[in-house]
Amino acid sequence: MPDLPSQWTPVALVADLPVATSAGTVLQGAEVVIWRDSAGRVHAWEDRCPHRGMKLSFGFVRGDRIACLYHGWQYDGAGVCRYIPAHPELEVPASICVPAHAAAEALGMVWVAAAGTDPGSLPPGGAEPLRSLFVEAPLEVLVGLAQAGLPGAGAVTEARRDGALLHLSQGGTRIAAGMHPMGPGAAALHLVLPAGASEDRRLALVTAAAGLRRAAEAAAGTGEAA
Amino acid sequence: MSAPVLWNYDLDDACYRVRLMASLAGVALTLRSVDAYPGAEHRGAEMMALNPLGRLPVLQDGALVLTQPEAMLCHLARTGPRGAGFLPQAPGPAALVQEWLAFAARDLGAAAAARMAAMLEGPGDPEVLRLSARDALRIVEDHLSAQTQRGDGFVAGAEASVADIALFPAFALSRDYGLDHDAFPALRLWARRIRALKGFVPMPGIPDYH
Repeated sequence: MPDLPSQWTPVALVADLPVATSAGTVLQGAEVVIWRDSAGRVHAWEDRCPHRGMKLSFGFVRGDRIACLYHGWQYDGAGVCRYIPAHPELEVPASICVPAHAAAEALGMVWVAAAGTDPGSLPPGGAEPLRSLFVEAPLEVLVGLAQAGLPGAGAVTEARRDGALLHLSQGGTRIAAGMHPMGPGAAALHLVLPAGASEDRRLALVTAAAGLRRAAEAAAGTGEAA
Repeated sequence: MSAPVLWNYDLDDACYRVRLMASLAGVALTLRSVDAYPGAEHRGAEMMALNPLGRLPVLQDGALVLTQPEAMLCHLARTGPRGAGFLPQAPGPAALVQEWLAFAARDLGAAAAARMAAMLEGPGDPEVLRLSARDALRIVEDHLSAQTQRGDGFVAGAEASVADIALFPAFALSRDYGLDHDAFPALRLWARRIRALKGFVPMPGIPDYH
């Protein structure tokens, strides 16, 4: 398995990964499961059960473990298999484990990187979730359009890239977009705002983001089937 | 009073919507199994007499025979002891329920067709249907993202309605037709809320845990 990059990449909004849930995602072609245990800790692993190759993101979180949907093999927070339901008496060999990446939370987003990556390089501060936008277009196409603003959401006064973040000031709102390359033809933006934006403004931005998705897919030639 | 009768095929997503709504509303159904695949019993003489459209599900409650799933959901919500909350009465939420029921019946039909094409030799180009289903589910995803900003967890408000039940299997079963859940975070959390409703029942492909 290729390891993840040693730079942090945002892959979800913190608000979209509640306690005791899991989600699958893709980072530059690598399938990753992110999950949050009952104590609130976030984990990011290779999205593959060592038993039969089933995606662990299809599984379910119980306490401090995630269990595979197929045969219920349970893995602890370090990725080590701790329980095999078909062999309840077995002390599971420590060699059965899932490769773990680094996971962190910053600026209202869940970030992943290669194991051991320094969390000191994560952006500071908190933010309010707006939404994640998944687009079937290359990241550069999506970001190129996003720098001109979310369609119909006001004049852009600043558009600045900073690592994995795009800082956008549009119509008086400061938007931060976490840039998430998924593969050659797929990308996501994880959008957050400072606290205090009105509900009307937030709703307008949710709708405008859908317009950005349409524009990016039209530009990439991957638009709507109809 | 005898229980309503549902002519049912376990793997059909519209039949599942009716079983789910009945369970949530507290209505006991009498199930009559129909061998839709491979037997095509739903297009046989007996079932065609009951529903000339040749489709499942069919719900019979006394003299009432219903062939449209959306009508069945509303009837069960109206008659079930725990059903009233699924049919909001205020004009705004009631209109949204009608809006999303119609969306489920018309625009989200591609999802059920995509699944039938992928699994049970149904008609149509699976890839075209998959993309149509993706486009329709994105509209629900966009709406639920807006509902989240309003503080509402369901399509017509803060509580689950018949419209949520009508929409649910198209997303919950989307892996059957090659559409993963990863790109639909709002739908994923909404599906989890539906699974947590009192009386939730699973179907093959939709577990009750999350």
